[in-house]
Amino acid sequence: MAGMLKQSGAFTITPHKVSLCILFKIYAPPGQFSVPFPFVSVAQHNRLGLFLLALTKSCDGILEPKLDELIHQLRMISQDWEASWLIDQLISRLSCLLSPEDLFNFFTDIRGILAGPETSLEDDQVILDPNSNLGIFLRRCILSFNLLPFEGVCHLLTNIGIYCKEEFSSCPPYEETGLDDSSNNLETYSEYENMDLENFFYEKVSEEIEARKEASERVPFHLHTPNALLSLVDDIDVPADSASKQSDKVRVAGPYEDPQSSMVHDSDPSGAVFLRTNWQIQGYLQEQADNIEKNSNAISLNGFENILQQLQKLAPELHRVHFLSYLNSLSHSDYFAALEYLHCYFDYSAGKEGFDFVPAAGGNSAGRYEIASLCLGMMHFHFGHPKLALEVLTEAVRVSQQHSNDTCLAYTLAAISNLLFENGISSTAGILGSSYSPFNSMGISLSVQQQLFVLLRGSLKRAENLKLKRLLASNHLAMAKFELTHVQRPLLSFGPKSSMKLTTCPVSVSKELRSSSQLISDFSSESSAMTIDGAFSTTWLRDLQKPTGSLIFCQDSGSGNSSNVPQFCAQPTSIPGSVLQVLGSSYILRATAWELYGSTPMARINALVHATCFADASSSSDAALAYIKLIQHLAVFKGYKEAFSALKIAEEKFLSVSKSQILLLKLQLLHEHALHGWELCRGRLKLAQKLCDELGVLASPVTGVDMEIKTEASLRHARTLLAAKQFREAASVAHSLFCMCYKYNLQVENASVLLLLAEIHKKSGNAVLGIPYALASLSFCISFNLDLLKASATLTLAELWLSLGPSHATRALNLVHGAFPIILGHGGLELRSRAYIVEAKCYLSDTNFNVFEDYNLVIDSLRQASEELRLLEFHELAAEAFYLMAMVYDKLGKLEEREEAATSFQQHISALNNPQDHDDPLVSIY
Amino acid sequence: MSSKESCRSELRIAIRQLSDRCLYSSYKWAAEQLIGIEQDPSKFTPSNTRFQRGSSSIRRKYRTHDITATPISGVSYVATPVMEEDELVDGDFYLLAKSYFDCREYKRAAHVLRDQIGRKSLFLRFYALYLAGEKRKEEEMIELDGPLGKSDAVNQELVSLERELSTLRKNGTVDPFCLYLYGLILKQKGNETLARTVLVESVNSYPWNWNAWTELQSLCTTVDILNSLNLSSHWMKDFFLASVYQELRMHNESLSKYEYLLGTFGFSNYIQAQIAKAQYSLREFDQVEAIFEELLRTDPYRVEDMDMYSNVLYAKECFSALSHLAHRVFMTDKYRPESCCIIGNYYSLKGQHEKAVVYFRRALKLNRNYLSAWTLMGHEFVEMKSTPAAVDAYRRAVAVDPRDYRAWYGLGQAYEMMGMPFYALHYFKEAVFLQAKDSRLWIAMAQCYETDQLRMLDEAIKCYKRAANCNDNEAIALNQLAKLHSELGRPDEAAFYYKKDLERMESEERDGPNMVEALSYLAKYYKSTKKFEEAEVYCTRLLDYGGPEREKAKSLLRGMRSTKSSFPPSDGDHFPP
Repeated sequence: MAGMLKQSGAFTITPHKVSLCILFKIYAPPGQFSVPFPFVSVAQHNRLGLFLLALTKSCDGILEPKLDELIHQLRMISQDWEASWLIDQLISRLSCLLSPEDLFNFFTDIRGILAGPETSLEDDQVILDPNSNLGIFLRRCILSFNLLPFEGVCHLLTNIGIYCKEEFSSCPPYEETGLDDSSNNLETYSEYENMDLENFFYEKVSEEIEARKEASERVPFHLHTPNALLSLVDDIDVPADSASKQSDKVRVAGPYEDPQSSMVHDSDPSGAVFLRTNWQIQGYLQEQADNIEKNSNAISLNGFENILQQLQKLAPELHRVHFLSYLNSLSHSDYFAALEYLHCYFDYSAGKEGFDFVPAAGGNSAGRYEIASLCLGMMHFHFGHPKLALEVLTEAVRVSQQHSNDTCLAYTLAAISNLLFENGISSTAGILGSSYSPFNSMGISLSVQQQLFVLLRGSLKRAENLKLKRLLASNHLAMAKFELTHVQRPLLSFGPKSSMKLTTCPVSVSKELRSSSQLISDFSSESSAMTIDGAFSTTWLRDLQKPTGSLIFCQDSGSGNSSNVPQFCAQPTSIPGSVLQVLGSSYILRATAWELYGSTPMARINALVHATCFADASSSSDAALAYIKLIQHLAVFKGYKEAFSALKIAEEKFLSVSKSQILLLKLQLLHEHALHGWELCRGRLKLAQKLCDELGVLASPVTGVDMEIKTEASLRHARTLLAAKQFREAASVAHSLFCMCYKYNLQVENASVLLLLAEIHKKSGNAVLGIPYALASLSFCISFNLDLLKASATLTLAELWLSLGPSHATRALNLVHGAFPIILGHGGLELRSRAYIVEAKCYLSDTNFNVFEDYNLVIDSLRQASEELRLLEFHELAAEAFYLMAMVYDKLGKLEEREEAATSFQQHISALNNPQDHDDPLVSIY
Repeated sequence: MSSKESCRSELRIAIRQLSDRCLYSSYKWAAEQLIGIEQDPSKFTPSNTRFQRGSSSIRRKYRTHDITATPISGVSYVATPVMEEDELVDGDFYLLAKSYFDCREYKRAAHVLRDQIGRKSLFLRFYALYLAGEKRKEEEMIELDGPLGKSDAVNQELVSLERELSTLRKNGTVDPFCLYLYGLILKQKGNETLARTVLVESVNSYPWNWNAWTELQSLCTTVDILNSLNLSSHWMKDFFLASVYQELRMHNESLSKYEYLLGTFGFSNYIQAQIAKAQYSLREFDQVEAIFEELLRTDPYRVEDMDMYSNVLYAKECFSALSHLAHRVFMTDKYRPESCCIIGNYYSLKGQHEKAVVYFRRALKLNRNYLSAWTLMGHEFVEMKSTPAAVDAYRRAVAVDPRDYRAWYGLGQAYEMMGMPFYALHYFKEAVFLQAKDSRLWIAMAQCYETDQLRMLDEAIKCYKRAANCNDNEAIALNQLAKLHSELGRPDEAAFYYKKDLERMESEERDGPNMVEALSYLAKYYKSTKKFEEAEVYCTRLLDYGGPEREKAKSLLRGMRSTKSSFPPSDGDHFPP
C-alpha cells in the first residue's frame, strides 16, 4: 500500500514497546547458549518467540495492550513458575527505569542482543538476526529512542511510570467523587482484564442503549430527574467523570452508572493511551473494511464509530479513518453520514492514500480526485440513485481521461457496466454518449445493451493492459453474466440486409468463466501477505484468551508438540480474500448458467462447491444465493417438505443479513406450493395472489426497480390467474409482460412467457391458438440454448397436438419421446410426471395401441408419475394419474387394482377440496 | 436600562474584582466599556470630549434605523447587588501569589496559595493551576507532535481541578468566578450540557465577567439552545445576546441590539467594532470602512478585528490603505495572527501569492484554529493553481467551523476547477444551505449546473431565480435567466427577464453589452409577436448604440414599416448617422 509505506516514520517508542524489548532480552540474553535460563525446553523457548512475533504483528485493535493485559497473556503461554518468573523480571526491570540515564543505559544494553555483521554463529548461541522480524522491530525501537529529543525521553519516562502504576494499583472501580485528589485519572484505566477492546465497545453500546431505553421508559415516573436524563440522551459522549458525577441522580438507569462501561469515552487523559504501530493500525483498518464488506451487520454502527473517533483523535492525519467511517455508515445505510465522510476523506487525502491499486506514479502531486468521483458514484449506486450514480461516474470517466489515470478508468467503466446491468435504465442517451462512447462520433446511437457491451469490453481491455488481475477476473465474470442473459446480435449493423439472428453463446460464457478462474494460479505466486500475517498473529493471540486451548497446551508443553503451534505456522493460503470471493462468485455464476441451460445436477454441484469451499471468503449475499439455489433444487427434486425445512435453516443462518433474498425464495416456494395444491380452492388462490403481490412489492424497493423480480412477479401473477381459470385475464397479463420484456430486451425471459401463453391457450381449450406460441417458444429456446425449457415447451406442444384429436397422437408421442432424455436426466419432479402422464395419454388415445398387450407401458409410467407427484403434493395431476390408472385397470378387468387406484383418486380429490386436513407448511411458516 | 451612572459604578467595582482575580481579558473588556459610557456634559474633561466627538460623528452619519433607547421588551432589570469582598485586607500570601501570577509563574503562584482559604486566593490558585496546565499542554503539543499529526496533549490539571470544583459546588461554597472556571473545564472535557448550566449559574450571580459570557456563547450553537438558557436580566445580557446573534448569523437582530446598547455605551470601541463585523457580514463595506477609519483614529494601536478591515480594503482594492494598515500592525505587534493575516492579504492583493501563503501559514502557526486564515490560504492556493493544497486548506477551515460557508464555497470552486462540476455541487449545496440569502453562492451553483459537462439547465434556472431574489448586486442572474430561457426556447420567459434586467439597468444607470443584448432581443421578440409599437421603441433605443446591432435595428425598423402598409414608407435618413 502506497500510503502506508510512506509513513514508515510513524514508529514511536512507547512503554509497551519497552516491555517488549525487555522480553526480547529475556528471550535472547547475550552470551547464553541453547536454551536460556528459565526455559526448560526448546519448544517453550520457541513459544515465547512466537508470542513476541505475534505481539509485534497482530492487528486486533488500535491501542497497545496495557501491562496487565500483557501479563495476562504471558500467563497464558507459559507454565506457572516460569510465567511468574517472566512477569517478575518484566515488572522489576520496568520499575528500574527511573531516570533518563536508566533509559539510555537500557537501550545501549539492548543493542547487545543483536548479532553484529561479523558475528559468526558459534554453537548454539542464542542471538537475534538483525534482519529477522524481531530483529527489525528491535532495531526500530532503538532507532526511534535515539531520535527522541530530551523532552521525548522525559515523556517516555512519565509514561512508563503510569504504565506500571496501573498494574500495581489494581484499583477498585471508580468512586463517584473520588476524594483522593489529583493525577488519579489513571485509575480509569484499570481492569481491562480478559476484555477484548471491541467486545468491550459493543457491550458498552448495547448497555447504553438499554440504559437509555430504560431511562426513557421511566421518565414519567421520575419527573424530578428529567434534566439529568435529558443530558444523557443529548450527549452520548458524556465523558467518564461527568457521567459518574451524574450517576447519583440517575440511579434509575441501572447499567449506565457502571464506571467501567463509561470510561472508554474518556479516551484522552494523561497520555497513557498509545496507538499501535502504523502498520498494525492499517492492518486493523483493512481487516475491519473486509469485515464490513463481508458481514456488515456484525459490526455495530456506534461501536465501531467510537473506535474510529478515538483513533482520529489520536492520529488526526490518518485520513483513512474517514474512509472507514464512510464504509461503516454505508453498510448501515446512513446516507448523509456516508456522503459527508466520503467527501471528507477525499478532501483530506486527495485520493492518494490507501487504495492499493494506485501505482506510485513518481511525483504526481495533482491528486487523484477521480477516485473520489468513482467512490461517490458507487455510493449513489448502493443507495439506489442510479441516475445520480451514472452522472457522477460519467464525470469520473471524464476526469480520469483528463488525468490519464487508466486504472481508475478501467474501474469506473466496470462500475458503470455493473450499474447498467443491475438497473433497467431505459436510456443513457446524452449521459454517457457524449463523453465516452467512441461510436458517438460516428453518429450512431446505441441501445443500452450495446453500450453495456462496449463498456465491458473497454474495461476488460484496460484491465488486461494494466494487469489488474482482480478487476480482470471480475470483468470476465461480468462478461459471462452479460453473455448469459443478453442476446447477441451484430453490434453494428450497416444497412438493412445485415442478418438479425438472435443467439446466445454458451461457449463464450464458459470461456469467460474459465479465464476468470485462471486468476487463482496467478495469485499464488504473488505476495500480499500483510493482512494475512497480521490476521494470523491476531487469531493466535486470541486463542490465548480461550482457556481450554491454553490449558491443553500447558499440560503437554513438555512434549513440544503443541496443538496451537502448527496451526500458527501453517499458512493455509496466500490468496487474498477478495480473490477467493471472485472465484466463489464464478461458481455461483456457473450454477446459474447450468440452471438456465438446463442441467440441474450441474447447477447443484456448482452451488454445493460454493457453499462448501467458499463459505468463509464469500460475502454473505453470495453465500445466501448458493443456499437459495440448493433449496430451490430440493424443492424441485425432493418436494416442498424438505425444501421448507432447509429454508428454515437458511433463515436462521442468514438472519437479517440478506433478508430480501431469503424472503424472495420463501415467497417463491410458498407460491409454487399454493398453486400446486389447491387449484379448486378459492382461499388458497387468494393466498397465492397475495404472495404474488408481495413478490411484486419486493421488485420495487427504494433502491430502484429490479427488472428480474418484476418479470417474475408478473409471470407468477399470470400463472395464478391461469390456475383460477381466468384465462382472458391471464392472457392479457402475459401479453403485457411479453411487451415489457421485449422493450427491455429480456429475450431469454420471453421464451418462458411464450410458453406460458401456450399453456394458457391449452388450458382454455384453444389448442389451435396455442400451437404457434409453443412453436415460437421452442424456437427461442433453440437459439438461446435453453435445453430444459425447450423440453418443457416440447411437452406442451405435444399436449396441444394431443388435444387436437387422437389422429395426432403419434406425432405427440414422438415429440414426447424426443424430449424424454433431457426431461429424465435434468428435469424436476413436476416436469417428469407430466411427461409420464402425457406419454400415457398419448398411448391411450392412439387407436393403434392395444391396451391388453402393452398395458404395462402405460401403467408403469403412471405409477412413476403418481409417486413423484405425491412427493410434490401436486394433487391435481396425481388425481389425473390415478384416474387414468383406474380406467386402464377397468378395461383390463383387474377390479382389485382398479378399486385401489380409484380410492387413491378419491383421496387426492378430497385433499384438493379439503386442504385443512393434512399438516400444512403454510400454516407453520407463513 | 439602568442609568449610566449605575452602570458606571457597577463596572468600576467589577474591574477591581476582576483584576484581583487576574482575569485579564474580562478586566480589559470591562474597562473598555467603562470608558465607553457617555459622559454627562457637565463632567466633561478635555480628553474625553476629544475622544468622544469623533465617534458620535460616525453615529450621526450611519444611524440608519434608529431603534435606540427603547428596550426590546418591557423588561425590568434585576438590580444585582455588587458582590461584597470577603477579605478587606489582602493576605500577604495572596499578594505574593498575585505577583508571581502577573509574572506568569503559575505553578509557583499556586504553590504559595496551597493552604489559603479566602475566596480570592482559592480562585487564584485554581486559575493558576489551570493556566499552568494550559501552558504545559501547549508545550507538549509541540513536543509530542507525532508523524500522524497532533498527539493527545491534554491539560493535566483538568481532572483534579474538576474534582475539587465539583466538590465545592456540591457544598454550596462556590463563588461565581470558580463557577466560571468550572464551566471552562467542563467544556474542555466535552461535557457541554453541564458546562452550560454551570456557566449560566456563574453569569446569573456575577454578570460582569465577560469571559464567562464568551464561553457561554461558544456553547450556544443553535437558536434553540440559546432560547433554553435561563438567564436573568441584566444589561450584560444584552451584550451577550448581541454577540450570540452575530454568531448565529442573525445580523439584523444583532445590529439592533448594538444600536440599543449604544444608548448607554455611546463611545464603546468594542460596540463599534462589533457593528462593523455585522455590517461586514451584510456586505456593507463602505460603512465598515468608515467605522474602522474612525476606530483607528481614536485607537491607533488596535490590532483586534483589524483583519476584517483588511478584508474590506482588499475587496475594495485599496492598495495604499491596505499597505498602510499592514505597516501599522506590523510595527505594533507582528506576532499576532491578525497582523500576519493582514500582511497576507496585502501580498494577495499585490498578486504575490507565494508570499501571502507564507504569512497565512505564520498566522496559522500562531493560532491553528484561525478560521479565516485557513480560508484565505485556500484562496491563495486556488490562485496558484495548486488545487489539492487548496482543497486541504478549505477542508481544515470546515473542520474548524462547519458553518463557514466561504470554505464550503471554496471547496466547490476548487472541484469545479478540476473539471468535476457534479462533485462540486455537493459543496455548493452545503454553502447555500448555510447562507441562503447570498446571491453569489446561488450564481456559483447555477454556473456549475450550466457547465458543458452537466448542462442541467433547469436546475441552473432555479438557482438563478434564487439569486435574483437575493438582491443580486452584480446583476448576473437576470441576464443569465433571460439567456437560458431563450436558449431553451421559451421566448415569453426570456422576454420577461430581459425586460426586468433592462429596468434594473435603467434604474442603476448602467450601460454596456447587456443593455444592447436586452434591447435587441426585446425588439425581435415584440416584432415576432406583432407588437410593433413596443418593438419600435426598443429599435429606436438601439440606434443609440454602435456596431452591428444598430444596423440590425435599422433593418428591423424598415421591415416593420414595410409590413405596416398604413404607415408611409420612410427610411432612416433623418436619424443621425
